[in-house]
Amino acid sequence: MTEEFEPRIVAFLCKWCSSAGSDLAGVSRLEYPPNVVPIQVMCSGSISPLYIFSAFNKGADGVLVSGCHPGDCHYTKGNYYARRRLNLVKKLLEYIGLEPERFQMSWVSAAEGQKYTQVIKQFVEELKPLGPQTKLRRNG
Amino acid sequence: MHKILNKTVFSKWVKELRSSKIYFPRKDDSGRWNYAQITPDEDAILDVSQTTLPPKKILFPQREIFLEFSKNIEGDGETLEVKEVMPEDGSTIIFGVRPCEGRAAWLLDKVFAGDFSDPYYWKRRNQTTLIGLACSIPPSENCFCLSVEGSPHSEEGLDILLTDLGEKYYVKVLTEKGEKLVEAAKKLFSDPHPEETKKAQAVQAESEKRLRRHLQEARLISEKLKGMFHSSLWDEESMSCIRCGICTYLCPSCHCFDISDEVDAVSPLRGKRVRTWDTCQFPDFTMHSSGHNPRPDKASRLRQRLFHKFQYFVEIYNQFQCVGCGRCISLCPVGIDIIEVLDKVRSHGS
Amino acid sequence: MAKIEELREEARRLLRDGKVKYIIGYGTGRDGWRAVPIFIRQPEEADRLIWNPTCVHNLSRFLADEKRRQAREKKPDRRPVGIVVKGCDSRAIVVLLQEKFIRRDDLVVLGVSCEKTGVIDEDKLTDKLKGKKPEKIEFGDQGEFIVAAGNEKIAVSAGELLAERCRECRANFPVIYDFLTGEKSPRPVERPFGSIERMEALSSEERWAFWKNELEKCIRCYACRSVCPMCYCDECVVDSISLAVTADTTAEEKAQKIKWVQKSPEISENFVYHLVRAIHLGGRCIDCGECERACPLEIPLRFLNKKLEKEAKELFGYEVGFDVSQPPLISCFRDDDPGDFIR
Repeated sequence: MTEEFEPRIVAFLCKWCSSAGSDLAGVSRLEYPPNVVPIQVMCSGSISPLYIFSAFNKGADGVLVSGCHPGDCHYTKGNYYARRRLNLVKKLLEYIGLEPERFQMSWVSAAEGQKYTQVIKQFVEELKPLGPQTKLRRNG
Repeated sequence: MHKILNKTVFSKWVKELRSSKIYFPRKDDSGRWNYAQITPDEDAILDVSQTTLPPKKILFPQREIFLEFSKNIEGDGETLEVKEVMPEDGSTIIFGVRPCEGRAAWLLDKVFAGDFSDPYYWKRRNQTTLIGLACSIPPSENCFCLSVEGSPHSEEGLDILLTDLGEKYYVKVLTEKGEKLVEAAKKLFSDPHPEETKKAQAVQAESEKRLRRHLQEARLISEKLKGMFHSSLWDEESMSCIRCGICTYLCPSCHCFDISDEVDAVSPLRGKRVRTWDTCQFPDFTMHSSGHNPRPDKASRLRQRLFHKFQYFVEIYNQFQCVGCGRCISLCPVGIDIIEVLDKVRSHGS
Repeated sequence: MAKIEELREEARRLLRDGKVKYIIGYGTGRDGWRAVPIFIRQPEEADRLIWNPTCVHNLSRFLADEKRRQAREKKPDRRPVGIVVKGCDSRAIVVLLQEKFIRRDDLVVLGVSCEKTGVIDEDKLTDKLKGKKPEKIEFGDQGEFIVAAGNEKIAVSAGELLAERCRECRANFPVIYDFLTGEKSPRPVERPFGSIERMEALSSEERWAFWKNELEKCIRCYACRSVCPMCYCDECVVDSISLAVTADTTAEEKAQKIKWVQKSPEISENFVYHLVRAIHLGGRCIDCGECERACPLEIPLRFLNKKLEKEAKELFGYEVGFDVSQPPLISCFRDDDPGDFIR
């Protein structure tokens, strides 16, 4: 019997909001798919586009960047920069033909454990039919 | 051994060689020529032009795996397994090699032989047969092979030299490898008549007159270079150099490389040791781990390239490393012309 | 029409009065018809300057070299450098000034207007001449090109020989200059991003197939990076040179060194290199087309690097390379930046 494809998602979570939100989901015993590899960063604005390309290069099927809501950034402005920069990254990846569903961004606050699980659930649902990401992956 | 092959049966000959990988110069959709593998069913027509990438891409690939390493963890102990990766078995035939490119292969052979013989290079080289095509017209407007002791019909490095006589090829077999290929389709070849031999010689002599560019007194320049290491000429000539690497990557005889480890997994450790092309024109080519860089500026790197081609190689092997193909001149984005620079070397101080 | 004599006179004056260290301009190459970058220091050399449709190079590329040269010298000559620019090249200077990479006082900008035409695409010229060797190419008075080849002179309409980027040009005269020759006549461009729009109209799979096919050819010679005026980083993503490897470095340490891109020209690594370069040029690329011209394998890099110029305009209303007082694209933001892609 063939195993169903389980996408591997790399999630860059900002420490002050989204990572705390994911912790809240855990503490509240909310269930969500285990396909995520979380990486905590200080701020969504500190995400270099290089991390995203590198994640796809190493074989991630999907990449999520999640930060604080606009106005709530712990460093005041970081997420505004992220909003602009990562919009460009998304447009560029779509332009070269990568499926648009593979790169997502979300605002998840420290109190939104429920939202975090929904974001992940939806992401996994969208990635399953696409299959493994082979376009940018390095064949070791 | 000298033979004649009619062009009408040329593709039949190629068909007989189908057990090998066969490369022909081919035009791609952007109008550039490059050596590409053909299927034996494809129509084998030998056309004349200068490819962007020389046969070096096949003889000395841009990426070559030396070995694979992996760590195996068993219980309490761990072992490191190292496996050598040699080039695959199987013969390769490259058609349409220009005599200058054949000469470049011959020069590369000198470098990779000697005191330390490179097993990877030689395994591949011994499996490859080069079938040259003499240049009846210069493939590039910047060819100057005669000036560096080559010629449009030189034979070094080649296994067979074809000379185009219009409806037939004059086939000169130069090595055992070449002989094997002719033997594979013996019936297609005939012995040459004396007029055909004369015609081949006439075509070759005529081709020498067609070269448009010349570098005068290359040996004198080589001598003069010795005293010009600290000259200000290099600063002036390298002002417009953008240190891109095109001249070295597309040069048939440039062979500098870098060895690096490509790690596929960290825990447990697994990866490959890989050789890739490198170029003396990149700033970090000579970067020491202390941070010191003996060639920190463009002037020293341009000087290095010219010295290597026209002085150091002459000192060690008594040959110019430059084969006069003209690619570096045609493709330099800012128009730096090696012949022009060397002309200035010759007239410097006189 | 831009008058070369005016340019030469200005250059002569600047060099004679010692106002500039040297002038970066266009001169005739050894083959007698192609322009090449030249560096002139004496007033007599001003006669070597030329202006014709083969002046394709973006000379602002050499401003980074000047900066490096000054950093190495113990007593640098602090006089400004003169530079001849077309409209597109001047936009590159604007971006470098926005980023404070160079100072305005360090430059004397000698502007030349392309007016109704621009520069040629050499492949189109080769096709047109069908084997004849060109001897000279000049601008005509009516906006056409006069091509002298094989003992005859023909007038060719600009449309036949113009470089593709000139058809989408939004700056046919310099936007910043200390001296200008030629008219400042704006030339309306119907579809300034037409080539990108055509690419976007293809399906996702078609675009992928296109880019995979093109980037497989890449031999990572980095000519595209070397010829770009904006790629001035001393240490690029692909040259991880600051991490020393000695005889004592263990295998594990080497394995854990940050290496974003492998040196091998495999398709996945080529993609990472070109994507990183494109994103680093977001809001900085001014479509001078040099990356595509320099590429020995004719990879159409313009389509990749220019895409973000279009996005900058459409998403953020940001015009790249026109206003020196504007901050760089990704170091600013607006409260109403689009966020509809964010969950």
